[in-house]
Amino acid sequence: MRAPRPHVVVLLALVGLCARSGSVAADPHGAFRLIVNPANPVSGLDRSFVAEAFLKKTTRWPNDELIRPVDLEADSPVRRRFSDEVLKRSVAAVKSYWQQLVFSGRGLPPPELDNEDQIVRFVLKNLGAIGYVSGSTDIEGAKVISVR
Amino acid sequence: MPGRVRWVERRILAPIVGLVVLGIAGAARAQDADSGDAPRAPAIHAFVSQGAVKTTGNEYLVDNSKRGSFAFSEAGINFTSQLTDKLRVGIQLFAYQLGSLGNYQEKADFYYLDYHLKDSFGIRAGRVKLAYGLYNDVSDIDAARAQVLLPTSIYPPNNRNNLLAVNGAEIYGYVSLRRAGALEYRVFGGTVSLVIPSQVGSPTPISNAQVPYLAGARLMWEAPVPGLRFGFSAVTLKLEENAVLPTPPALSAAAVLYADVFSVEYAAHDLLLAAEYAQQRVITTDNMPSLLPLSTIVSDGGYVLGAYHLTRWLEPAAYYSLYYTNVSDRSGREHMQHDLAGTIRFDLNNFWIVKLEAHFMHGTAIVADTTQATDPANWGLFLIKTTAYF
Repeated sequence: MRAPRPHVVVLLALVGLCARSGSVAADPHGAFRLIVNPANPVSGLDRSFVAEAFLKKTTRWPNDELIRPVDLEADSPVRRRFSDEVLKRSVAAVKSYWQQLVFSGRGLPPPELDNEDQIVRFVLKNLGAIGYVSGSTDIEGAKVISVR
Repeated sequence: MPGRVRWVERRILAPIVGLVVLGIAGAARAQDADSGDAPRAPAIHAFVSQGAVKTTGNEYLVDNSKRGSFAFSEAGINFTSQLTDKLRVGIQLFAYQLGSLGNYQEKADFYYLDYHLKDSFGIRAGRVKLAYGLYNDVSDIDAARAQVLLPTSIYPPNNRNNLLAVNGAEIYGYVSLRRAGALEYRVFGGTVSLVIPSQVGSPTPISNAQVPYLAGARLMWEAPVPGLRFGFSAVTLKLEENAVLPTPPALSAAAVLYADVFSVEYAAHDLLLAAEYAQQRVITTDNMPSLLPLSTIVSDGGYVLGAYHLTRWLEPAAYYSLYYTNVSDRSGREHMQHDLAGTIRFDLNNFWIVKLEAHFMHGTAIVADTTQATDPANWGLFLIKTTAYF
């Protein structure tokens, strides 16, 4: 009996990668705006900083204020778009990431809120908050920041 | 030496468990008083798993795997509370059965006080998960991966009793390197609580065993390419044990283990690719070399792994793992273990998963303790497992 070979696994993964092409960001309603508290002095952020903030690898703003990221529920198309474009991971992959941290005692995920109005209220209430909402949501004075 | 270990557990670890429980209770009261401060609310997470194991040719994991067995259960619950911006406490209670391991005895999987001074430096004290390779500290978290069993070349299931966590402390940090990516480090030390398996009928029962020290570190470099990271982990520990012989004196043996692993992982969008290579060196000494020869044995192994979310509810995965018990003798089925595994994970909803997994095995290195020389070199392992979690 010949031993199995490792390239079989790599080929399977590549087939999966090819099959996936063209499926990203197919939902035109998933566009998002990144919002922070109006007292937050930042006006633009690197994508990598936002990703590290939402994965809680970076926990402080440049002014040392605690970063308080907040998520929409996993089923939200806005979250799917944000996750793909900023975190560079699917929502399912991010959930696995948090399962690893939660059950190994290394961290807790951002709170998941039911709708975008709650996201806006959370951002307005907390100085260090950062969240994302769709383009049509009334942000009630929250500050929109650009992602570089 | 065992007295010193017990002293450490009694005088240092027990108060930490008490503080963790008190901290969580205190946070719960604070939550009542200020329910709007969501980030400081105590969080409760839990999981319950039930699996089944069936093999062809060799007994593995459970006592009656050739006939099929359901002795594959896990349950855990954890409480975590962010007391202040920098101080967190947590505890996870865990019970499991995997064949003769676990036997549903509940234990503290981990408990800690975590002081996060800044992103580049924090300290956890208590019983903390042991960072070795990409996945050792999450090897008991079924919901966090596609596979039922992680590659056995680096994460043997029977390690979960002894090498999942360390009683002591670790320092950790995350350092941004800007355009060069980031570094994540964890450095830990302490002891481990040994679980001595049943010795009924053994002619030389172990009278005591302890690990006077364990130390290690893991360094991960997150490359500028999103999702790509490289790592190196190293662990050393000393094991001391005494065994009762039919005639005095008793056998006293010590083993020093050095283990290291090189890791690479690419996790982007729905794709996960990972590969690791590990080497372990065990140096054994004792007071009766005529009975138990002094030895230095080096084993090694590695794997390549891939997983992909085809849809939100369907994730196929596969890996190939190879393990040698002794690098100086790579021949013979009892010295090698090829493991080609395929898994399908179904996420029925956000709280419930089912996994189907099949392994084609060549070699008997991972079942050498329980099999006979006549057992076949080629065999199959089939698992089904369901987990509910929140």
